[in-house]
Amino acid sequence: MVNTAGLPTAYEHGHRLTAEGTPVDPILVEIVQGTLASVEMEVETAIARTSRSPMIRDAHDFRAGIHDRQLRKLTGRSYSALVHPVARDFPLAEMAEGDVFFHNDVYESEGGIGHLPDLCVTVPVFHDSGNGPEVVAFVQAFGHHDDIGGAVPGSMPSNATSVHEEGLSVPPIKLWDKGVPNKAALRIMTRNSRMPDSLAADLDAECSACLMGARRLSELFERYGRAEIEAAFDAILDRTTETYRREILAKIPDGTYVWEDYAEHDGVDEPQLHTQRITLTKVSDAPADPENGRPAGPRIIIDFTGTSPQAKGPINHCGDYVGGNFLKKWLAPILRNLADTPERMAELDVNEGIVPLIEMRFPDKGTLLTPIYPAPTNARTFVILRLLGVLAGVVAKAVDGRMPADQETIRYTGVYGNDRDGNPYLMREVLGGGSGGRYYADGEDTIHVVPDSRNLPTEFTESRFPFVVERLGLAVDSGGAGRYRGGLGYEKHIRMLEDAHFMSIADRSILACWGVKGGKAGMPFSVTIDPGGPSEREVDALADAEPVKAGQVIRIRTTGGGGWGDPLERPYDEVERDLRWGKVSFEGARTAYGVVASGTKDKPSIDVEASDELRAELREQRAAAGDVPFFDRGPGYASLADGRTAADVDWL
Amino acid sequence: MARRIRIGIDTGGTFTDVVALDEATGDLVTTKTPSTSSNPADGFIDGVTKVLDLMGATGADISSVSHGTTVATNKLLEGKVERLGFVTTEGYEFMLEIARQAVPDGYGNSYFWVKPPRIVPADLVRTVGGRIDFQGNEIRPFDEASAVAAARWFRERGVTTIGVCFLHSYADDSHELAMREVLLREHPEAVVSISSEVLREYREYERSMTTLVDAAVKPNVSRYVRNIHERLDELAPGIPFSIMKSNGGVLSADEVVNQPITTVLSGPAAGALGAGLIARNGGFAKVLTCDGGGTSTDVSVVLDGEPTLTTEGTVGAYPSKIPMIDVVTVGAGGGSIAWISPEGTLKVGPQSAGADPGPLCYAKGGTEPTITDAHVVLGRIPPHLLGGEIPLDVDAARAGIEELAARLGLDPTRCATGILEISAWNQANALRQVSVKRGLDVRDFMLTTFGGSGSLLACRLVDILGLAGVVVPPNPGNVSAFGLLTVDVKNDYVQTAVARHSALDLAAVQATFDDLTARAAKALAAEGFSADEHQFARSIDLRYFGQAFEVRVPAPDGPVDAAYAEGVAAAFHEAHRALYGYDFSGDPTQQVEWVNLRVTGIGPITRPELRPLGGADTGPGAGESSEESARSSVGILPKTRGSRQVCFDADDGYAATPVYWRPDLRAGDRFAGPAIVEEFGSTVPVHPGFEVRVDDFGNLVIRRESDSPATEPSAAATQEGTH
Repeated sequence: MVNTAGLPTAYEHGHRLTAEGTPVDPILVEIVQGTLASVEMEVETAIARTSRSPMIRDAHDFRAGIHDRQLRKLTGRSYSALVHPVARDFPLAEMAEGDVFFHNDVYESEGGIGHLPDLCVTVPVFHDSGNGPEVVAFVQAFGHHDDIGGAVPGSMPSNATSVHEEGLSVPPIKLWDKGVPNKAALRIMTRNSRMPDSLAADLDAECSACLMGARRLSELFERYGRAEIEAAFDAILDRTTETYRREILAKIPDGTYVWEDYAEHDGVDEPQLHTQRITLTKVSDAPADPENGRPAGPRIIIDFTGTSPQAKGPINHCGDYVGGNFLKKWLAPILRNLADTPERMAELDVNEGIVPLIEMRFPDKGTLLTPIYPAPTNARTFVILRLLGVLAGVVAKAVDGRMPADQETIRYTGVYGNDRDGNPYLMREVLGGGSGGRYYADGEDTIHVVPDSRNLPTEFTESRFPFVVERLGLAVDSGGAGRYRGGLGYEKHIRMLEDAHFMSIADRSILACWGVKGGKAGMPFSVTIDPGGPSEREVDALADAEPVKAGQVIRIRTTGGGGWGDPLERPYDEVERDLRWGKVSFEGARTAYGVVASGTKDKPSIDVEASDELRAELREQRAAAGDVPFFDRGPGYASLADGRTAADVDWL
Repeated sequence: MARRIRIGIDTGGTFTDVVALDEATGDLVTTKTPSTSSNPADGFIDGVTKVLDLMGATGADISSVSHGTTVATNKLLEGKVERLGFVTTEGYEFMLEIARQAVPDGYGNSYFWVKPPRIVPADLVRTVGGRIDFQGNEIRPFDEASAVAAARWFRERGVTTIGVCFLHSYADDSHELAMREVLLREHPEAVVSISSEVLREYREYERSMTTLVDAAVKPNVSRYVRNIHERLDELAPGIPFSIMKSNGGVLSADEVVNQPITTVLSGPAAGALGAGLIARNGGFAKVLTCDGGGTSTDVSVVLDGEPTLTTEGTVGAYPSKIPMIDVVTVGAGGGSIAWISPEGTLKVGPQSAGADPGPLCYAKGGTEPTITDAHVVLGRIPPHLLGGEIPLDVDAARAGIEELAARLGLDPTRCATGILEISAWNQANALRQVSVKRGLDVRDFMLTTFGGSGSLLACRLVDILGLAGVVVPPNPGNVSAFGLLTVDVKNDYVQTAVARHSALDLAAVQATFDDLTARAAKALAAEGFSADEHQFARSIDLRYFGQAFEVRVPAPDGPVDAAYAEGVAAAFHEAHRALYGYDFSGDPTQQVEWVNLRVTGIGPITRPELRPLGGADTGPGAGESSEESARSSVGILPKTRGSRQVCFDADDGYAATPVYWRPDLRAGDRFAGPAIVEEFGSTVPVHPGFEVRVDDFGNLVIRRESDSPATEPSAAATQEGTH
């Protein structure tokens, strides 16, 4: 059986609004594009400023998006959910002004929603061009809410074996009908949440913000007329297609490239390699495929065949719907690293215009990316984060490494218990990690893949929760060694003032962020309770309820980024600066960089002669050891790969 | 007997603008001198001397001088901060490296983003032992030994500018005070800022950055202010000299050196204040200001003459939590370059040709068409600058626009109007940002335009945003300097004191207010205000429990009792609804939380009275202008200075358009667009469909004819639809 990835669909989507070659006013295109970006920002600002859930408020785990009536995403600053499930269940012709649609059901979301806490609100935009009000666009927002029920607080049970343990699934429903909220539906949702107040407040914030955005878009249609605006929408997407064709696809030589990477545990089975594999094929002269909206010319084909069977635990991601539409837009930002400069990379939007350039092929149902209902999905983040890295790695093979080394910037850590007043609390945060080295710069420390995602100030958390953050620093030596060093992860020490439980949902605790082209892997994630004390112990990266006593310290170290290029090529003055800045230890300088230094952190002194000798020695040892793989996965790989130090796909 | 002349002086990058007011006669005199970047005091003193000469006065006649400037902080904005040291709590030495872990802009940018250099590199950070908790209790005592070691470490390395921020010092400042003592003892030449004096507000990264910015600008600001003060003292010994602050107040020059961060936005603040006062005087309470310069346009919101403030501003690349006028700067000015993106779209700005080489029409080596070039090609500005002093090369501008148009496959006129249309939308989106985020409906607002290029697109902004109209003050180039004459002394004090409304300790709130008020009073007394002149404005930041952003509400004077607290909570619910469209008043499950208590101490000054402009039959020059004027049914049609071919809409092409010379206009004059109003240093294109009325104070009040209170039938007949 062939996995058709949900295509074709019974509802219409993905088509142009105007015939190809329709004349368009270039000035209006610029105005429309600027206004769409401005509306999207206003919607996000309104949500951010009023939300309660820390995942939305601080981690910024929410997105607004504007889509046309063919369900195509017009804005390009970030990923967003999909309008497809709403259009599937509610024909556009039957929508009315004031309607607000809602869903969070992963398997009913056409792949746009990855786990149940992501609640999605969709508002149609209306315009009357003489035939009565018609739907002309959509404003949508989804955000990661505190709790939507299920087996554990926060709705992310790391050992779930079905979606039923993960909370309340709501298929697409009409949450507001012509301006009237459906109180029954709201009550069912809040009744199923452990945090009903913040759930209600955050939903209010999202609905109000989307309705405001819809009004502004209506004004735009009103001002310029539907034909003009729709021609501009087409032009905006066409230009993205053309830019990626010219500046991105052109950089990948024609050919087929294979690479894979792994999630290390699923919360149920023992740690093992859960493979995600991409076979990337780049062709310059693909024939047109009008049925799927793909023009003739350059195209990349991303084939996930070889991906592991679906996991028992919650690391599955529903990717194979509407041709992988969500994953295309989720993964395409990685391709921007092929642009000429970091400044140019930042300029490139990822909107629906990239979709015609990418063909996705999925394995049959029953894999990590094609799970069968009701397989659990709440920790699917690790799989789709890993896919970003798999794509970066497979492209690196095609372009001699001119891609960034690996990063891992999302994991959930937290503590919960009763506060000073005896009230239950949950403190959960998303701590970033170091980014990978690039061919033009070191990786950056403690950053996050989600734009504007912020850590929690100590002065905020200590005022609300019963603990003292004794240290919020960097994990020395955690950045993968390289000509361009990987960025460092966090080192955070939390001293509990009351007995509590620690929770963690993290990957990359055995496997590390890989280095490339001679660069070394970074250090993995680790948690130690009572370090240096009588009860010192390591905690598994998937922990729902690890007890911690009052007075004990929880030490969290997050991942360092992978290194880029040969660390023995790193100039001495850069190693000296790393010593002075405290990012590399003297021991690390010697073993990873072949640099012999004495003195103190305040005044390190590099012995050039001794370092030259040491580097020569290290090079000889390396040559004697034989062929070096293109990727370094770190020492943890062997423990899951029967002692092998590299995978077959790790060589060029 | 000496006269009493109050002088406002605004030093910009290119020009120093001066406004002087004779307090007795109400005479207002304005002038301009070139800024002198090598020693700004030269340009400053030139300006003072020049304006005194114009008034036939001497230094002895000056009663006070107020100064606004961006010069002192330019160094910071350019990111050139050198040899700054940071002292913080043990365990937090990487606070600046970590920042808030946020990557700007798009999803996935973390892969290629290169972090800009931190304000203090990691090796100039020292930590000191000791710990306070969020309630101000000491967890571990201040570790004197590590403090001494840090102070000596900086001394040995010649680091003489140091910022100090310890955790929870907003709740208890004893460790920071102890640290300052140690620095004073061990490293006496160090310039030190401590966070509990700069900003008593929670969030350690933001407070640290604010403190470090304060420290970084301290040596510069001190040097600058001292230098000017000395020169001014030679001219007019002992007169009050004050500096404009970012919060819309002034502070004596002596005190400013102790809190330099409060002055970083002093230029734009003065502009917003001046524009606000002029507009309120003209009867407009709700105003958006639009200050257009050569490279950028500053926009802000002014309500009842008071600019709105933010505590989420930035200074250059650095966040600053100090209250400052909420100015959004958009990269759209006269010199903004029109260019074609790799996608083939027409873009305008943010790159600017500035004043040098400047637009093509300046013929000073500019190679790319700019907004100014589009205006001159369309005839919307005259083919010369500054009233005719500097001719413009219209042919060069046209050639540039034609070349750009050819590459886009557009008609040149369409290309020129398109450049301006895109620029207008860029400005409109910035104006939306400052208004929509406060829940304000811009349709009630008048736009006050000033600065050299601020008025050029005013009519289009009215159309795009649906604004009520435009007010163009007289002397639009001097609005910022004028603003300096209108400013009270103002100091802000804040104390974070997080507490649930339901369990509020009223006595504690009262005590905090009393303490903040006492500090404010002390500062006002030091500024020479007697106790009966002191004014205090309280405000409180509140949120619903669980929110991370607060809403600020003004709070009344009076004893803090249960009724007071309920009143504050009610005001919060209402403000939340106004801002975000909903609130939870009456919902007991949604708790209100008090976060920051604030007191602003105000020492009021006498604001200048704006004198009315004469009417056509009474004012000076009435005799000559009335010859060619004709009374229409509702107003006076002033005489024109001739006409020229102007294009307002590419579809309609060029048409002969009357040109008015602004000094000829009199109160009560009224005319319809299309028209051009010119004056020295600025131009106002009045689009078809708009009507101009000159109000009693000489402001041009421009509205859509369809919105005008008394529509002229004759003009309405020629009205065009706006698109």
